[in-house]
Amino acid sequence: MRSHRSSFDITPISLVRPLHAGSPKKRKRQKDIIMDGSKDPATPKTPAPAPDVKKYPYYIENPVTENRVARFLEAFAAILEYSDYRPLLDSYCRSSAKCNRCAVSCPLFLTTGEQRDIPCYRTNLLLETYRRYFTIDGWMKARVSGGFELTEGIIDEMLDGFYRCTACRRCTRECPMGIDHALVTHLGRYILSMIGIVPKALQVSVREQLEGETRNTSKVPKTALLNTLEFLSEELEEQIGVKMEFPVDQPNRDLVFFCAVSDYLMEPETLMGNAAVLYAAGDWDRWTIGTGNYDGINYGLFYSDWHLERIIKQLVGEVTRLNGKRVLIGECGHASRSAHDFVPVFGGREAYPVINFMEYTLECIRKGKIKLDPDIVEERVTYHDPCNIARSGWIVEQPREILKTFVKDFVDMKPDGRDNFCCGGGGGLVSVDEIHEFRMSIGGRVKAEQIKQTGASICIAPCANCKKQLKELVEYYDIPCKVMGLHDLILKAIYVPGGKTPAERKEEAAMFEM
Amino acid sequence: MEQWIEFAKGPLFAFSFLVMILGLARLVLIQVYSLVAGKGRRLRKAPWGKMIAEAGSWVIPVKHLIPGTKIFSTVSYLFHFGVLIVPLFLADHIVLWEGLLGVNLPQIGYGLADPLTLFTIACVLVLLGFRVMSPRTRSMSTKTDYLLLLAVLVPFVTGYLALHPQYNPFPWDVTMLLHLLSAELLLVIIPFTKLAHIVLFFFDRVSGLHWQLRPGSGDQVAEALYGKEAKV
Repeated sequence: MRSHRSSFDITPISLVRPLHAGSPKKRKRQKDIIMDGSKDPATPKTPAPAPDVKKYPYYIENPVTENRVARFLEAFAAILEYSDYRPLLDSYCRSSAKCNRCAVSCPLFLTTGEQRDIPCYRTNLLLETYRRYFTIDGWMKARVSGGFELTEGIIDEMLDGFYRCTACRRCTRECPMGIDHALVTHLGRYILSMIGIVPKALQVSVREQLEGETRNTSKVPKTALLNTLEFLSEELEEQIGVKMEFPVDQPNRDLVFFCAVSDYLMEPETLMGNAAVLYAAGDWDRWTIGTGNYDGINYGLFYSDWHLERIIKQLVGEVTRLNGKRVLIGECGHASRSAHDFVPVFGGREAYPVINFMEYTLECIRKGKIKLDPDIVEERVTYHDPCNIARSGWIVEQPREILKTFVKDFVDMKPDGRDNFCCGGGGGLVSVDEIHEFRMSIGGRVKAEQIKQTGASICIAPCANCKKQLKELVEYYDIPCKVMGLHDLILKAIYVPGGKTPAERKEEAAMFEM
Repeated sequence: MEQWIEFAKGPLFAFSFLVMILGLARLVLIQVYSLVAGKGRRLRKAPWGKMIAEAGSWVIPVKHLIPGTKIFSTVSYLFHFGVLIVPLFLADHIVLWEGLLGVNLPQIGYGLADPLTLFTIACVLVLLGFRVMSPRTRSMSTKTDYLLLLAVLVPFVTGYLALHPQYNPFPWDVTMLLHLLSAELLLVIIPFTKLAHIVLFFFDRVSGLHWQLRPGSGDQVAEALYGKEAKV
């Protein structure tokens, strides 16, 4: 098969960096980097930090060194003034039972057993700060008996803890009080981001998406997008035997498509699978890709209400420009959740309905618009539930229903569905390359074990973030399992009218590999 | 001593009950007011069905018995039955409730109340045991967490001793007074401690509401901190 990567050389892959799995030596070097955020073999031009600079576990553009406590409280106060977090914090502050049920539901704590990884402990750092500085009870208590005080050390704990957590919300599901630790993590990261403490990888991406020229996180310019679409079209013609010209900037279409923009660089198979479904279902003239904005990624969901809203508005603006009717999100967990949940919140009168591509595909299967060949996929297949669309969303059964129509040997992980474990790269962590070793050896260990236990040779992960993390994970742990998107698999098995049959394609691919 | 007991059964009981009710009502009002005032129409868009289903799953939380918490969860769940049933429905308590509120609650016999009381005491001890024995829980516990368990324990122990003089090494009236005072103390502290989850439980569970963020707030926060030209 032709190498896809070579065709993408024309695009500036600013965020795609080499993996660091492999030799123990490399792993050790990575470990050193985690211990000491100042070392960066990948970007040696980074100026050496001054001796008094606090050591952050991840790269920060301009590390804040002074007055962090006062600035943190100032940002916290501003957020409390203009947002609605007060009732939430009031309630959590009072009723947090510290029963520690959350600990055993957290994949991170299950791996490390460290106190800083107990969701309740981490949440409590912020709750104590709120209680002490923003409630009368706390103020009085401080006058009488001293007690909690926000220190530089606690800020260090927060900026570490809030970015060890992947905001998978498994603990939220198991908290008997219903405390949403992920929402507290979100708030904690929001406050930290407002004083400039945020992983550089996330900040740079969001800046490009909101203020840059390309308006997307991977800095893919319009010409590169068009080239990529042309390439995908050629590749589809070669594989399937049907010419599909991708609809770009077509007005008045039912569906406007947004995927994680990194898919254009790294996941051509998923996109080709998406295209094949739309074409085979006879909906080719009902959808379009907008060139004004083609990125579904929304890191605001992970760390900032401010960016969350602006990115949603940008997406909604593109649908309005094209006079589209609905938003179609590709295979991406957080992009689906942020659009699905926050277009109604921030979209105002332009709150278009949002559907995930898997919902669309299932609808096509149910209506008999597409057919999948059940004899193509012979391997054992398992499915990873992305937290954002399963536990925090609405997509659990749909992909399973799709898979069971054409996969003979499907096994679920244990636990699965809404109780599934996070891949270890959620909450934006997967984009932070300098914590690769942490994501592999700690964050993703439980997940790796889960995949191994299924004995599957294909793991479906319909999410750009999960996919990247899991691909690195199976390599790191040498698990003989191929990680791919759901539509990568559908691409193999779909009947496309006027094209080669799935069986013919399979034969051709086998010949090519020989 | 007799007078003290009468005083504790009468005005003091009424007072502590009032403190509890007013305290809890204050918490509820603050929550409802700030949610309605802050979120307004966005409350309608919240995923109510999902939130109610989630909360409902805790009525009989069998599916939440995840590995590593089975004993703790079972004990703390059953503990709540003892804590609610005995104070409300024991024959001697019904008289108090009738005197205070004029309501006539159904009654449980001593045949049920006695074992239930002992069971509740055992539950508290087990919960205390978990807090002390488990290193991760111990490391997070504060003095209040222990004192609250004690505050729940004392009324049950004294109540049981008062009804079973044969096991009681102390004079009856002292035990009774202690029972009344400790129970009243418990009522008073409910709204000011984590025991307020009696009502806040329902507000904690609706984090779906809190994800209905306020439009425009991010811009305002950024402007307040960095001025109009704030950049990412």
